[in-house]
Amino acid sequence: MSVEKVKQSYSDVQKEKIFETEFLPHINSMYNFAYRLTFDEDDAKDLVQETYLKAFRFLNSFQQGTNAKAWLFRILKNSFINDFRKKSKQPPKIDYQEVETYYNSDSVDVSMTTDLRVETVQHMIGDEVSNALNALAVDFRTVIILCDLEGFTYEEMSKILDIPIGTVRSRLHRSRNLLKEKLQTYAKSMGYNK
Amino acid sequence: MATNLFNWLKQSVLGRSSCKRCLELLELITDEEASPEEVKHFHNHINECLPCYESYNLEKSIKEMLQTKLEKKQVPDDLIQSIKLKIRNNL
Ligand SMILES: [Zn+2]
Repeated sequence: MSVEKVKQSYSDVQKEKIFETEFLPHINSMYNFAYRLTFDEDDAKDLVQETYLKAFRFLNSFQQGTNAKAWLFRILKNSFINDFRKKSKQPPKIDYQEVETYYNSDSVDVSMTTDLRVETVQHMIGDEVSNALNALAVDFRTVIILCDLEGFTYEEMSKILDIPIGTVRSRLHRSRNLLKEKLQTYAKSMGYNK
Repeated sequence: MATNLFNWLKQSVLGRSSCKRCLELLELITDEEASPEEVKHFHNHINECLPCYESYNLEKSIKEMLQTKLEKKQVPDDLIQSIKLKIRNNL
């Protein structure tokens, strides 16, 4: 996963094979992740393309048969942060209060902050779910995508995001509470949950 | 009224250490990151504790909602071709 590991030296044929069999199969997940970060189809395309070209360029740092999906997601997320967010015309969408509250809470608290009910959640339609998720600041949105949509383990997430597992857990917890708040606000506005 | 009663129940169980432990385990359980002992402990608890059982169901239903209800975008047809072409030119 990391660049410090032993460099491989693949032939061009091997490179093409790894690319086809281990990298390209993840393009659906990659594109959807990119779209959920950028909210724009063209931006998502550019980001995915940039990620694949980087992955190919650094292919010798990738060990065949290891976790290609996590490796690709890590490159995509870094490309988004380092290059993409700067280039993008859109200002980054950050809810500062959310970020601040998060960084001020250092432990995994167990408070049940929500009155949200299972029946309400089950009645939500795709657009409502999508709006709630998209309303979260990108760091919070990202952990939910990685964990709940893509099924990465905490350890994989820790590597993709370059943060300790404890931070993965607390960020996930915080993100889920925020998501519940958004869903709850929405449910109230629709008159559910009387 | 029912909601108030439920909230009161939730508040009162927060003081119980077994519930606190249970809620700490909650996400580990739904994320399948808990050890077999933790899973056993957790299920023993929710079998006897309605508020924790409700919390567990809520957590599970949110995860399920995210997995099933979000629209998955189709990768644009030309993207793979465009990537492959750029790679070939680099080989
Ligand atoms: Zn309990």
